[in-house]
Amino acid sequence: MTASAGRILILLALLVSAAGAMAGFAAGRSGSAAGWRVTRGLAYAFAALMAAANGLMVWALLARDFSVSYVAHVGSRSIPDWVAFVSLWSSLEGSILFWGLVMGVYVTVATRANRDRHPEYMPYACAVWLACGTFFSFLLAGPAQPFLTVPNPPPDGPGPNPLLQNHVLMIVHPPFLYLGYVGMTIPFGLASAALLRGRLGQDFLRPLRNWLLLPWIFLTVAIVLGAWWAYEVLGWGGYWAWDPVENASFLPWLTATAALHSALLTERKGVLKGWTVTLVLASFLLTILGTFMTRSGVFNSVHSFTQSAIGPTILGFLALALVWSVWLLATGIDRFSTEGRLEGAASRDGMFLANNLLFVLFTFTVLIGTVFPLVVEATKGVQMSVGRPYFDRMAVPIGVALLLLMGVGPALPWGRATAAQMKAALLPPLAGGLLAAAVGAALGVRQPWTLVALSFGGYTAQVTLRELWRPVARRRALGAALGEAVLDAQVRRGRRRAAAYVVHAGAALAVVAIAVSSTMGTSKELQLREGDTATVGAYTLTFVKAEELREPHRSALVARIHVARGGRDLGVLTPRMNQYESQREPVGTPAVRTSLFEDLYLSVMNIDPGQGTLGLLAMVNPMVAWIWGAAAVMALGGLAALVPSRGVAPAAVRAGAPSPASSRVPAQG
Amino acid sequence: MAASAGSPAVQTPARASLNRRVLLLGLVVVAALLAVLLLNLGRDPHSIRSPLVGRAAPAFSLPPVGGGAPVTSESLRGRPLVLNFWATWCAPCIEEHETLVSTARALGRDVQFLGVVYEDEEDRVQVFLRRHGSSYPSLLDPDAKTAIAYGVAGVPETYFIDAAGVIRAKVAYPLSPEAMAENIRKVRP
Repeated sequence: MTASAGRILILLALLVSAAGAMAGFAAGRSGSAAGWRVTRGLAYAFAALMAAANGLMVWALLARDFSVSYVAHVGSRSIPDWVAFVSLWSSLEGSILFWGLVMGVYVTVATRANRDRHPEYMPYACAVWLACGTFFSFLLAGPAQPFLTVPNPPPDGPGPNPLLQNHVLMIVHPPFLYLGYVGMTIPFGLASAALLRGRLGQDFLRPLRNWLLLPWIFLTVAIVLGAWWAYEVLGWGGYWAWDPVENASFLPWLTATAALHSALLTERKGVLKGWTVTLVLASFLLTILGTFMTRSGVFNSVHSFTQSAIGPTILGFLALALVWSVWLLATGIDRFSTEGRLEGAASRDGMFLANNLLFVLFTFTVLIGTVFPLVVEATKGVQMSVGRPYFDRMAVPIGVALLLLMGVGPALPWGRATAAQMKAALLPPLAGGLLAAAVGAALGVRQPWTLVALSFGGYTAQVTLRELWRPVARRRALGAALGEAVLDAQVRRGRRRAAAYVVHAGAALAVVAIAVSSTMGTSKELQLREGDTATVGAYTLTFVKAEELREPHRSALVARIHVARGGRDLGVLTPRMNQYESQREPVGTPAVRTSLFEDLYLSVMNIDPGQGTLGLLAMVNPMVAWIWGAAAVMALGGLAALVPSRGVAPAAVRAGAPSPASSRVPAQG
Repeated sequence: MAASAGSPAVQTPARASLNRRVLLLGLVVVAALLAVLLLNLGRDPHSIRSPLVGRAAPAFSLPPVGGGAPVTSESLRGRPLVLNFWATWCAPCIEEHETLVSTARALGRDVQFLGVVYEDEEDRVQVFLRRHGSSYPSLLDPDAKTAIAYGVAGVPETYFIDAAGVIRAKVAYPLSPEAMAENIRKVRP
């Protein structure tokens, strides 16, 4: 019953989205207002149907209705309700159903927000969104059906993958990832519409940038949540392994970051329109490639959904989307007009270009490293893997160069600068760079790349703070009180600019924290008997006892380790080794003690309660918590940039003459 | 860096034209990427191919569980051999046990089945075999020397060896009846 109802909802969503896509393209061609109204109605209907199908599935999961195939596959009577609820996205079919819901919400909000604006682009954009919706409805109707009827429902089910129940981060990480991934569909539709029109007007850049920024924020959070989960759960002491699925989320983030910068240049100077649009298209295409990576079972990874039949279907969609994008670019790119012109290398313009080239280089580096094993396998039949050394060797110089650009770019003025101006802009922040490097060296940093990262980080920090302070200082000079000056310069007027510098501050902090945490840690492999004491860093560890615990769905071997530092008792940490019934290999769960400057990280390598022996990986990882904090700063900065600032409210821009000055970003506040 | 570097957009705008360079470059990249992904569809990335496949199986001489003369690989030549590394503490081994026992029984003398106990104790193995039944001998592997020779990374692992003593397949997951039948075909003419 429930299953049939679900299938009907999916089929209706398929029909409605396909009809909406056709109506949208027709309305785009004819420019008919009635056609656009029909398209909007179908878009809302698609969203409503997806929401209903998701609601039905949640209801079936909570009611433990095992006549629905997905519930029979992941549901269980022994799991608590909240696990039943989140198992909506714990397995393949459910995750695609949830994808449909997220898509519906995005399409609804983006359509409603622009229903009376940008009439020349919107029907096309909405058509592209619904075409993507058609594809995901098709997946749900055919290759990945969640609503199959189980003729003889089992009395109980196996429950979701136990790894997903292992940590709370696994519950929030997937939704953020979907919000990031699915969200890239919106700018893809907008960019497609611009190419179909052969026009990318000033007024259309703002929605393009904002709709790119929103999924970028979600993707940033998702990537860091994934890294955090790996750190807290997987037990090897790191947070990033250049796993294909990690790369799958990182690739669109790189191109989207490049696109955000390039779009700013386009918005300000009317140049690089084709390039910006290419980056936007690429970001979407990379999300589909990432979906293929995680869902096809082709890539070897810790968290791929294996043995899935939907690989060929997603590959087909990827092929269609790629050919569509290439065709659009080939036919549309030469029709874009160029209004302004770029200055030479020694200007902020030049730094934007360098930024873009570096991000694209980064993207290709990661993409090639990810796909290379497949190329070798396909051509030579040899299995191989591209390991961390390749990625680290390539990523470190690029990351450090980007860190420096974050300082040099904003320091330089727009347009051409005289030698004296450049000196005044670029020399003072050297103080910040030297200071950061000196502090690092005094604290024991000797690794050259880490010192470079610290000095570039200090340089960038000084520029960022100076740029944040400058508009405040100007208002102070005119007699404003400090609070009033900050409010006016950063919140009321220059919010987008201030927000961008907040994101930069977060990004610079993240790069420095990554550099320090990956080079300044201490790691020891200890073999202990009960009662033994060992030291790692400033910590004294005493192996108190090994215990065996039995829990309903797993058994666990737990090491109780007493921790002290400088004679001060820090309590007991309990790293453990879990054996899930459905898993071949045991899964360790490390114990992490986080403090402001460093983490103590204990992970069980082997443990034998009978013999009272323990093999322990003990690490002191500095500044890891700063990475999570830096990501939060980046996300909050991004959100602040989305709130329209009163000084340049879009309504004011539209009401007045389309003067280029008012639609520009206020660069100097 | 000149203003036009790397960006097709900065070219002078033409009317509704087809940019052949973009089209060609795009299609080449797209075709290459798709070809690589397509060629890899259906491959199981988790199966690490054993370098031993296609080579002579390492020789062994191991005492059977419960005592008796050692079983040597030499004495088994002339018949296909299914060599299953397992342990009583391994849950997936219990899962595939049924398939192994029933297939061994069904094939009778056509195919020899042998278990090799991995990192386990003899008395536990005997209790296990009494409870779950068996239709073929299990051998003890002191110090796991044979497991090391075969490159066993975990249990269960099953090697399919043909009558000439050449390894034809290695399976590193619990065998289903279908997987069993498919791999038996590789060693039985």
